[in-house]
Amino acid sequence: MQDELSDTDLAVIAVAIQEERDGLEPFLDGVTMPVLLDREHLLTELYAISNVPTVIWIDADGTIVRPNSVAVSTDTFVDFTGVNCEEDLVALRRWIREGVVPVSPEQALTAVADLSDDEIDARLEFRVAAHLRRSGDEAGAAGHFERAGQLAPHDFTIRRAMMPLTGVDPFGEAFFELWAEFQAAGSPYHGFGEPIRD
Amino acid sequence: MSVTVITDEVRAVDGEVVGGRVLVEPASLVDAVGWQLKPEGLCRDDRCVPVRDLTAIEVGHQLDVAAVGATLGRRAVVDADGAVVALSLDAEGRRQALSGHRAPDFTLPDLDGRPRSLEEWHGRRRMLFAFSSW
Repeated sequence: MQDELSDTDLAVIAVAIQEERDGLEPFLDGVTMPVLLDREHLLTELYAISNVPTVIWIDADGTIVRPNSVAVSTDTFVDFTGVNCEEDLVALRRWIREGVVPVSPEQALTAVADLSDDEIDARLEFRVAAHLRRSGDEAGAAGHFERAGQLAPHDFTIRRAMMPLTGVDPFGEAFFELWAEFQAAGSPYHGFGEPIRD
Repeated sequence: MSVTVITDEVRAVDGEVVGGRVLVEPASLVDAVGWQLKPEGLCRDDRCVPVRDLTAIEVGHQLDVAAVGATLGRRAVVDADGAVVALSLDAEGRRQALSGHRAPDFTLPDLDGRPRSLEEWHGRRRMLFAFSSW
């Protein structure tokens, strides 16, 4: 995908929302785009992101033309681009080649709800917990992780991201329980939670 | 003694915990939160936010980081035992992002540890791809 659009002005910037670079290896094979590490989850607060993978399109002048939109991920990590399925690639190609954006400015304006105070506090609790964990204070960290999860119960960047930091398998039973809770709550999502199709 | 202040980065600065409040030396405030206390208020670059009640942020000769944050409209979480305080980011940047007007800039390390900013690619169309291995 990068290669296909390499004659254009498109810059793809990947941001890993996680504590360590460990675990990224399967994603990095053959990747030439810059990959940044966001251990404090700054992006999830600055752009109101509640799950990943997600993509944000930014115009040359810095205007967001397509806010947080869920990206279809594959289980095999074969295509580490955020536009793993052909339809997403078509949309990206149309933007870059033809300047066509699948979201109206009005839609873009209202697509992403602002974070609530609880969701902001959850991010702060998470950062405090991650810091205490790094300092070796697992017990101190546990209380803040728990509080973060209570404040933002359907936010995967909180609930799922803490799993590997608290000895829980993020692909195991705990994830499926979280997914069921999320769906029972009506699948709340900051941004376009379903793929946008022309 | 040193305390930890978390904003967009994690910084250890001179200070102490008194009565459950995380305090820093006035000279360390700019390192801790990027703002400094001047006669006209809390200042960063050429911007100053007036401090209506100095007694709310001053404890002895030191400054309460959470109270400084509150003056700047930032939320705070404190862990007194761990001597750490986290302040929220500038909500105005997020509001601009959500209204589609401007993508807030940020600086994060790449996998070689080199700081990179969104601004580096200004003038080009950019696709931000947030992902994780969890």
